[in-house]
Amino acid sequence: MQEAELIIALAGWLLKATFMMSTPLILAALGGMFSERTGIVNIGLEGMMLIGAFSAVAATYFTNNPWLGVVAGVVSGALLAGAHAIVCVKYKGNQIVSGAGVILFAGGFTTLMLEVVWGVKGVSDSVRKIPNVIIEPIREIPILGVAFGSLSPLVYIMFILVILSWYVLYKTPFGLRVQASGEDPAALDAAGVNVERIRAIGVLLSGAFSGLAGAYLSIAFASEFGKLMTVGRGFIALAALIFGNWTPVGCFLAGTFFGFLDGLQFAITIQPEFGFLLEYVNFIKMLPYVLVIVALAGIRRSVPPKAIGSPYEKEARA
Amino acid sequence: MSSENVEDASSDEDGQQEKETGTFERLRAVFERVRRRLPDRQYWKPLFWSLGSIILALLVSALMLTIMGYNIIAGFEHLIRGALDQPDRIIQYATPLVLTGLSVALAFRCGLFNIGPEGQLLIGSMAAALLGYMISLPFLIHPLTCLLVAALVGGLWGFIPGLLRAYRGAHEVVTTMMLSYVAILFTQYLASGPFKEQGPYQWISQTTRILDTAELGKLFGPYAHWGFGVAIVCVVGVDFLLKRTVLGYEMKAVGLNEEAAEYAGINPKWNMALALGISGALAGIGGAGEILGTHRRFLDGWSGGLGWDGITVAVLGNNSPWGVLGAAIFFGALRAGGNRMHQIAHVPIEIVGLIQGLVVVFVAAPRIIDWMGRQSVESIGWIRKDTKKAIPGLVVLGYNLFGLFLGLGLAASLIPVNPVNAAFPALVGIFSGQAAYRTLARQETNIGLSLVPATAWFGAAALDAWFGGWVFFNTALIMVIVGSITAVIYWMMQALTEQPQGGAE
Repeated sequence: MQEAELIIALAGWLLKATFMMSTPLILAALGGMFSERTGIVNIGLEGMMLIGAFSAVAATYFTNNPWLGVVAGVVSGALLAGAHAIVCVKYKGNQIVSGAGVILFAGGFTTLMLEVVWGVKGVSDSVRKIPNVIIEPIREIPILGVAFGSLSPLVYIMFILVILSWYVLYKTPFGLRVQASGEDPAALDAAGVNVERIRAIGVLLSGAFSGLAGAYLSIAFASEFGKLMTVGRGFIALAALIFGNWTPVGCFLAGTFFGFLDGLQFAITIQPEFGFLLEYVNFIKMLPYVLVIVALAGIRRSVPPKAIGSPYEKEARA
Repeated sequence: MSSENVEDASSDEDGQQEKETGTFERLRAVFERVRRRLPDRQYWKPLFWSLGSIILALLVSALMLTIMGYNIIAGFEHLIRGALDQPDRIIQYATPLVLTGLSVALAFRCGLFNIGPEGQLLIGSMAAALLGYMISLPFLIHPLTCLLVAALVGGLWGFIPGLLRAYRGAHEVVTTMMLSYVAILFTQYLASGPFKEQGPYQWISQTTRILDTAELGKLFGPYAHWGFGVAIVCVVGVDFLLKRTVLGYEMKAVGLNEEAAEYAGINPKWNMALALGISGALAGIGGAGEILGTHRRFLDGWSGGLGWDGITVAVLGNNSPWGVLGAAIFFGALRAGGNRMHQIAHVPIEIVGLIQGLVVVFVAAPRIIDWMGRQSVESIGWIRKDTKKAIPGLVVLGYNLFGLFLGLGLAASLIPVNPVNAAFPALVGIFSGQAAYRTLARQETNIGLSLVPATAWFGAAALDAWFGGWVFFNTALIMVIVGSITAVIYWMMQALTEQPQGGAE
């Protein structure tokens, strides 16, 4: 009897941990989707998350309003993405090199600013968190109560953004243009649409989404900024994007799965029942990466947009 | 044949002219002849891009440091001095960077982007660390064995994504990155689990110290070790591979055009897999060299992103082996000097990472550098052609650039004290920057370019006096006066140059 209760409590708790850990992954993956569907590779998600996380904490620290922090995170992510867009879209630079540069820059910049603003090397001062949304009536229900009773509002915003992204990508003219820009930019150009503008918007969106993901990590999940605090989540988001086949629903499912693995890890480190697994935590962490390699190796078809990675040069008109 | 004759004839003509004209012409002819011997102009372009991005990155980071309120002059002075004082440090930092850079560069020459040298480096270094204390071998043979095995293990870590790319079409950017994380987690597990050093006071995740026989000796100074010799050998080897062997030729052919290479009878798949394999091996050697030469054991997280830096190095070195060597030494110097700058001028060491990121972003888009190069060539032509207009233009440019730094610096120092008041100098700084851009990019010279910033400074001074209590009033007033004087001088020059024209009409 006691064991059953424990399992129920644990299941609810694991569900909650899944939501909590998958939110940043899904958000960043959705952002990456907008960029890559327009045909611009964005491996800089990690950097944009990092800068979003930092700006969110800094803005909250100065204004004491976490919602302004969220705005700052989104804007700073989009700004960094703007640099990526200028290099890749306007100057047709190498997208992977630029993305690597974005990651390096964000790592250096946030660590530097950490020292400038707070005068510390590791972790910033604690700031106000975004308060959780507490739903009183369902708190007593066994599994759902633990899972949904008290979640960050950004988790719900993530759900909304998944649906919105799906709608925008498949049901609006803009979404069709995004798809066309990644599949056949020449045709889009022939139809009289400015390919460069669509691509720039895609990259900016990816920055905004990643910035939001970073802000979630720093002022909704935690309440401070730590040096390089994203610890590779941008890359896992990239993995979720590929595993999810560059679609919103796929990103959501893959992100949730990887988030579940993350939550499981979390459970293992703090729940004594799982203590025997502690030694193998690293292997659980490896799982998303291995799965992506397996998926790409052909167990499951994953088809990237056709024109991905190649800058679009308008042909000279006669 | 005929073209050679023509060239001979033309040089003969040059010779005749030499006799007729003075020393200046003769010098020019010599210069022409030297220039003809040098490689094509196209050959120098990558060097120009690299240097341009370094300069641009340094400028941007200097601007950022100013905004953050650091003393950049002292900072850069100690950066350069620190680098010149400790050549052994430079070599120590450069050694792994040469190898990870070569790793990325070689793959790139075959058209592949190896973005996971970090994992290949770690897995190779783990192999070397384990062999270093588990088996005992005589001097010289022991480190060589370790390096060889590290190369094999690292090579395997590159060969797998290579095979997947060649035969299953899995994109190597993703697979190498993912495998890199697998390696990071796996070595972490090994260092904290099965191969953790045992002992009563042992809590750190590290392996046992390697045996003395496995160590790489010191090259010179307290830090530089023989790993650098290994790195040089690898540079020469990769250069030889790419320039003098059939395999290298085939790899380059695949990198330039896969389909054409296949049509010419080259097997692109095998070449791709092999290129990534060798690439991984190089990174593995880099990791092993660091373990055997510097750390002497595998310490969890010892690398700190050396693999990532390899991408920077390869990109800056334009993927050529000797370019990689140069770029690695540059970044080594940046780090060696960065430490000194941190200790003495208290500029955070993280600025090195920032500069690295900026360099990569700028190298990614050579068109930005090209554009700036064209602009400066045009500007020089403009100064020569139109001196009377250009010189006041340059004075205005200098004034505005100084205003940009001053405005942003003032704003930064004011933010903690009085954030509202900081907005005024920041705005003026942006105004000045915009004016400077207009002079540079569009070669505009009109009186407004110095008058508008001067007015803005005046406005800032007035607002400061009104709201903020005379914080930077004097500085702003000086800027107003300098700006006005510049404008007056400009106007006078303009009037002087226009008068004769009016007279002629």
